[in-house]
Amino acid sequence: MPTFVYMTRCDGCGYCVDICPSDIMHIDKKYRRAYNIEPSMCWECYSCVKACPHHAIDARGYADFAPLGHSVRTIRDEEAGTIAWRVTFRDGRVKNFLSPITTVPWGTGIPDFRNEPEPTEAERNSQLLSFEPKYIRMDDGDIATLKSQNLEMKEGVYY
Amino acid sequence: MDFATTPLAAMAGSAGLQTYVVIMLALVAVMTIMDVIHKKSAKYFFEDSKKAEAKVKAGIAAGSKNCSVGFEDGRYREVSGGEKMGAAVGVVLNEVAVSGEFDSTKPLRRFVHILTMYGTILLSAATIIIAFSGTGETVSLAWNLGALMLFVGSWWFWFVYKVDVMSEGNSWTDIDLRRDMFSLSLMAVSTTALGWSIWGGAVWEILAMLAGISLFGGVYWSKFAHMFFKPFAAYDKRIKKLSGALDNLPHETRFDKSGAVVAQQRDRHSMELLKDAPMNMGLGIKREGPNHY
Amino acid sequence: MGIKTIVEDNIDILVAGAGLGGTGTAYEARHWGRDKKIVIAEKANINRSGAVAQGLYAINCYMGTRWGENNPEDHVRYARIDLMGMVREDLLFDMARHVDSAVHKFEEWGLPLMRNEKTGAYQREGRWQIMIHGESYKPIVAEAATKNADKTYNRVMITHLLMDESGRNRVGGAIGFNVRTGNCHVFKSKTVVVGAGGASNIYKPRSVGEGAGRVWYAPWSSGSAYALMINAGAKMTQMENRIVLARFKDGYGPVGAYFLHLKTYTQNAYGEEYESKHFPALQKMVGKEYLDMEASHRTHRPIPTCLRNHAIIQEVAAGRGPIHMVTMHAFQDPHLEEVGWENFLGMTVGQAVLWAATDLDPKYQNPELTTSEPYVMGSHATGCGAWCSGPADVSPPEYQWGYNRMMSIEGLFGAGDAVGGTPHAFSSGSFTEGRISGKSACQYIDDGKAEGIVVSDSQIEKRKAEIFKPLETYQVGRNEIVAGTVSPSYLLPHPGLQRLQKIMDEYCGGVTVNYMTNDKLLNIGLQKLKIMEEDLEKVGAEDTHQLMRAWELKHRHRTSECVMQHTLFRKETRWPGYYYRGDAMKLDDKNWHCLTVSRRDPETGEYTLEKAPLYHLVGDMEDKALADMKKSEKKPAKKAAKAK
Repeated sequence: MPTFVYMTRCDGCGYCVDICPSDIMHIDKKYRRAYNIEPSMCWECYSCVKACPHHAIDARGYADFAPLGHSVRTIRDEEAGTIAWRVTFRDGRVKNFLSPITTVPWGTGIPDFRNEPEPTEAERNSQLLSFEPKYIRMDDGDIATLKSQNLEMKEGVYY
Repeated sequence: MDFATTPLAAMAGSAGLQTYVVIMLALVAVMTIMDVIHKKSAKYFFEDSKKAEAKVKAGIAAGSKNCSVGFEDGRYREVSGGEKMGAAVGVVLNEVAVSGEFDSTKPLRRFVHILTMYGTILLSAATIIIAFSGTGETVSLAWNLGALMLFVGSWWFWFVYKVDVMSEGNSWTDIDLRRDMFSLSLMAVSTTALGWSIWGGAVWEILAMLAGISLFGGVYWSKFAHMFFKPFAAYDKRIKKLSGALDNLPHETRFDKSGAVVAQQRDRHSMELLKDAPMNMGLGIKREGPNHY
Repeated sequence: MGIKTIVEDNIDILVAGAGLGGTGTAYEARHWGRDKKIVIAEKANINRSGAVAQGLYAINCYMGTRWGENNPEDHVRYARIDLMGMVREDLLFDMARHVDSAVHKFEEWGLPLMRNEKTGAYQREGRWQIMIHGESYKPIVAEAATKNADKTYNRVMITHLLMDESGRNRVGGAIGFNVRTGNCHVFKSKTVVVGAGGASNIYKPRSVGEGAGRVWYAPWSSGSAYALMINAGAKMTQMENRIVLARFKDGYGPVGAYFLHLKTYTQNAYGEEYESKHFPALQKMVGKEYLDMEASHRTHRPIPTCLRNHAIIQEVAAGRGPIHMVTMHAFQDPHLEEVGWENFLGMTVGQAVLWAATDLDPKYQNPELTTSEPYVMGSHATGCGAWCSGPADVSPPEYQWGYNRMMSIEGLFGAGDAVGGTPHAFSSGSFTEGRISGKSACQYIDDGKAEGIVVSDSQIEKRKAEIFKPLETYQVGRNEIVAGTVSPSYLLPHPGLQRLQKIMDEYCGGVTVNYMTNDKLLNIGLQKLKIMEEDLEKVGAEDTHQLMRAWELKHRHRTSECVMQHTLFRKETRWPGYYYRGDAMKLDDKNWHCLTVSRRDPETGEYTLEKAPLYHLVGDMEDKALADMKKSEKKPAKKAAKAK
């Protein structure tokens, strides 16, 4: 289902051009609206569909195996923190879905390390990564080592 | 530059100017009609709205019968005559009058469009008035103001808001004459009109006339004809929203328009993680404009 | 041509490609390098780039040590058997001991991780997988990266690494271009972490037209993870280990949640179980060490992915296809039906579209499965990638040269698909590897290893001319023809890609030959790739978008060549179901219980291949239980032989 753009809904705002991971949403120079320039490089990832403020982008199943007459449309609502889907079958049957896309206000909880205390020299020389060992087990347990797990590395065939 | 006079004053009411104006109007009309016939665009709109109507009727009849996951109850409804009227008024006041279809995250882009549109309307209307009922201070003011607005709008557009320049990082120097003829003509019309108004002279006059011909004579090859459909498309969109047809978009939301939580949705298994979550998560990737290059 | 060159100088850590691996690096490097200059170069928009652009419905690598579920060595054992023994167990162990800390952070950042109502632990899909609503997985980790990086360059494709010219085998940065503006971008950097992606679309796909976009791995994964390193002369490992996926037909929708959580199962066209029929013959090919049904029952050891593919391939070849996934039972449960659909909508929308288009409701009809065309990558059930140093406290001397995840070129690190021998990292493991590389790169700089790097202007100019050549080739050559895409003097990227796909398919074990190849075919294939390399000097690009496609093609071509070399080197059939060497149809532990390591000489283009020793993590309880079981089995087997 490569994407396509509805003429009457697109206003050429460029959000799809900006987001497309495959660089295939581009502006038609005459109509100054977006379209898919390379359908065989479209993953149907819906990144552009979700980004479009006008819901002007839709997808039509890949012609080499998908018959016409279906629709899978979505509204990704960042403020509500949800994504809604509506799957319409060729014969008219419908399925509706709603799922969360974040559980906290966007960006909160992500540290900017420049504002956090610096790591110690001992931590630098250890195998620990940031927020470890605490965040590995969320208790006082330490990072796993060969010794702690009673393991050794041996060359050869072992099965 | 004197806003109270126009270089057209000398030709006010003249047969020459009248002929020019009539030819320009005829060009627009004929080419737009040719475009509509050739592309069958009117037919498309008619069929699309019929399809949506049929969908609503079927949807009302079916209820949740064809829906095995989620809900369909109350999605579709008949749109009353009053609502249709309201939608039409809304289109005129919003989409037509103030370019309301533009994405709200780029207010300046919308402003540039409004400048260009009203500049064109003022300039054209004033020209018609001068040609057929003579000039005057108000009309002259409108003519000059229109030219200035169009000048600012069209050039601003070219350097900043032309969509491939804005979104794709193309240089404004990349010109495709046929595709860009409409935009270039707008720039030419306003520039020559202003030049003629300020400095006068036959050269500016001829340039202005030619610019007008390229603008109106190029309608068939530009997207100009399409703008007559924009109001119809906007009206259609409003009706589909009211009826629930919504171009097949989902209608599921966490909370309804009044901000109240939709219990049906909250209690879905998939929504468990948001049961106690804040009602407004703010903006994620939409915080930033679409210019990541 | 007036191409603008933008130079970003004095970078400490350059992240080349910011998928899950690269974002992990940018985030973690800031913790260990507060004043370091961290710069990201990403081919697309970091908010939706890489393999996770579309979202994910599961995190496939999570130990759950916190809930007493698994230990790192359990993961090593699982990945080892799944890959028929051929893994870097030091790197796997290292990733597995850190991965939970990344996942716990993701939850804090807002990624919706489902919880098991009864236990309070994360909802398991299978032993290793946890279920998420991961539509915004990538936007969330992207923010963690951009917040901590000094600068993020979006739409900049890295085409080459820049090398230090002071006489050491050391990296000095990278160069590429902006796919929108067409500007040249030079990054002079003390370290480079390659977070670029593996390769889709190097084998002829089953789909013939538009559907070629519905590849299993993202179409924008262009093998840059490998080409950048191979071209710089880095050592590569396990590049023969391409992967074939058993997936829902055409849409390539994932089957993990279906098998594990929904408890669906497969059967042949006649409703029969088919796997066990093929296992006795298969056991003769690979040996009981790798396919032992009893051991699998007793110890929950999985049947390797490739061997399950083999059963499908054999069953279809025997005329009993198609293979069906039996969904009709599970989908009668409304909750499971919802999960089944959300699974697709969350990560492979195309499969949902296909079912809607074909009126296939899995509640009433069992969908078909198929085996895909092969892919080359290093973070799913396959471990292609660079030969990297392991952690000092785990790795044996052959696997360790100072800095964790540093390649055989100083200052060059990797994450995700770029690191070889580390399958089953998936999203969370790739992010974790990125974090490890980020810390290592900081240590490398702090130890003064990055002093005195020289990157001359002539090196930059040479690369720049090379990068933009396709535009010139096209513009000049275009005058020869009236119109169209057919020219005798240049090759456009798309037909070029189709040639590559045909070569790889027919000579290196693609779908049309039922994954079969041999030494003769591979040698012909290598010759064809060599000629194609000459033609790639004449690749033409009409605009900057095509210039990107041209470089993706070059990267895919180089990756393919390395895959072909490795496939020729390993003279055995190690992974039946991924590919077969017709001239050596058996698994051969005597000669090939080893890792393959290659290096392409950047000057001559010649490959040298060698074997590297395979070390195993051994000693814990589960190993012993298995050993005891085998001991007790061996005795009666010997008696039976004597009786004969």
